[in-house]
Amino acid sequence: MDGGRLVIDEAPGGGDSRAWLAWALAAAAATMLARNPLYSLIILLAARLTTAAHGLPGQGMRLPLWRLGGLILTFSALFSALFLHVGQTTLLRLPASWPLIGGPITLEAAVAGASNGLVLLTLLAVFVALNAIVPVHDLVRLLPRALRDLGIVILIAITYVPATMQHWQRIREAQAIRGHQLRGLRDWRPIVIPLLVGGLERAMGLAEAMVARGYGATDSSRQPMGVRAGFLVGLAALLAGWFLAIWVGWQGWLLLAFAALLLWTLLWRLGLRYPRTQYHSRQWRAGDSLLLLASLLPLLAVLVPLPGRASLAYVPFPQLALPAFSPVISLLLAGLALPAFILSPSQHNGYNT
Amino acid sequence: MQRLAQPVLSFLLYGLSGVIGLVAFTYPFFLDAAQLAAAAGARQSAPLLTMLLLTVCLLILLIEMQGQAVSAKVVAALGVLVAVTAALRFLEAAVPGPGGFSPIFAPIILAGFVFGARFGFLMGALTLLVSALITGGVGPWLPYQMFAAGWVGLTAGWLPPLRRPLLLLSFFGFAWGLLFGLLMNLYFWPFTVPVVGSAAAGDSAVWQPGLTLTAGAARYLAFYASTSLLWDLIRAVGNVVLLLALGMPAVRALVRFRDRFQFQLVTG
Repeated sequence: MDGGRLVIDEAPGGGDSRAWLAWALAAAAATMLARNPLYSLIILLAARLTTAAHGLPGQGMRLPLWRLGGLILTFSALFSALFLHVGQTTLLRLPASWPLIGGPITLEAAVAGASNGLVLLTLLAVFVALNAIVPVHDLVRLLPRALRDLGIVILIAITYVPATMQHWQRIREAQAIRGHQLRGLRDWRPIVIPLLVGGLERAMGLAEAMVARGYGATDSSRQPMGVRAGFLVGLAALLAGWFLAIWVGWQGWLLLAFAALLLWTLLWRLGLRYPRTQYHSRQWRAGDSLLLLASLLPLLAVLVPLPGRASLAYVPFPQLALPAFSPVISLLLAGLALPAFILSPSQHNGYNT
Repeated sequence: MQRLAQPVLSFLLYGLSGVIGLVAFTYPFFLDAAQLAAAAGARQSAPLLTMLLLTVCLLILLIEMQGQAVSAKVVAALGVLVAVTAALRFLEAAVPGPGGFSPIFAPIILAGFVFGARFGFLMGALTLLVSALITGGVGPWLPYQMFAAGWVGLTAGWLPPLRRPLLLLSFFGFAWGLLFGLLMNLYFWPFTVPVVGSAAAGDSAVWQPGLTLTAGAARYLAFYASTSLLWDLIRAVGNVVLLLALGMPAVRALVRFRDRFQFQLVTG
């Protein structure tokens, strides 16, 4: 126990990045499938609690979520009220001759808009949590191995962003010493162009260093014909499965499963050609399995026909009524907050060197 | 035979990816009410499925592109240019510009114009990915942003190589300033308000399943004009101003480096 908290894991942010990704995807799926504002609120609170417990300092979205949330809710309610002239509780009536917005402004439309805005806000909160909890280098590591060359591009870019900012600062200072002042947009030329040229010069040096270390010495970047043909078949099956799943039903889901299996196998086979080495290897721990289990709970709530499943939907039309509430579904959705209580918000020490 | 099959396979993969991208952005126009009702829960799962479809498609497209475009110089140049552009987005996140203005589109357009369509697509898609990673913007919207920004760079590579391309680039930047917003609003348009009976909603800017393509497009344009046009106009004008002020010297610098990046010693 640690101050009343049961410590199960000692991992970065309290869990493995793959487990956190599963948590975020499950939360997002539950948010999109359950349209009841009470359930959206539960997921939103779970996401905020988890962010507060496991968010790394200085990481994640730099926008204030609550201010953004106020904006989203207000805009959604206003937009819906102005454009959706449905419902029985009329708040005011705009002249019918006004294009698009003319007609009755109803309470039901405003509530429906706010409820939709809440879904958007909840989605945002879930991914704010993911961004705040999982370090950038762990997010990059989630990229499939098959993206070897573009993975290098992404790593170069992430590494060079701070260097670019420093370069920008140095050029500004150097130009300021020469008496250069920023008055108009054209005055940015002596800063932007040296920044660009300096960056490309560094790219030349970097490319030479990469070649010297053997990058591109073997012709391994071109994918085998069979794999590419498999990708083509997989993509076609995916598109056909998507159409069928939306317009027909279970046949589409079967095709989607086939496409997913085929593409996953091809990506895995391709990934084997590019072994990934890392200085620190992180072990999967009990806490990660627990996090994964916590991710399954909201999926149970929205996918399995449980008692109270009808409460997942909420339509305030034709007359406003309170949304239905099911304790079972609420409890399962609240399972998303489990990581906030059972995992330790500790430092990066789940690694083997 | 294999020499013939390679480009055909590439063409098919690019073509299919393009079709999937278009379908993923425009599917609100062809969701049908009756069929949605028949496939229970389809309306709720449609956005989720579409996002997954687009993500997988983007992944395959990136793998196909990396197989054809990569030398150490291209990797390094792409990495550094993405870093410079992502740094601009980082600054934008810290000090937001007016309306929808963003300084990232001008570099993507210039890179696509100078280095070609494939480089432009990669530059657009990876810039959005890297800037999302460093500003905490990873989310379900990211694949859509990556695809749309990739298209900005891709189509810039299709522009004719004029001696004085500034006006053309400015017009192109203006058009994409609006088009980017038009695309990015389209995929979540069905979720801005809940669906009610199509008769009850009347003629408005609200999405309804089962509309004809023209009726859907008219409603979407009304939605776009009333919610986003002004915001996107600021982005479009911002692109023009940036391209007019900095475009030519940047093109000259990039062309000089393009020649150096393409230099290869051919033996035998």
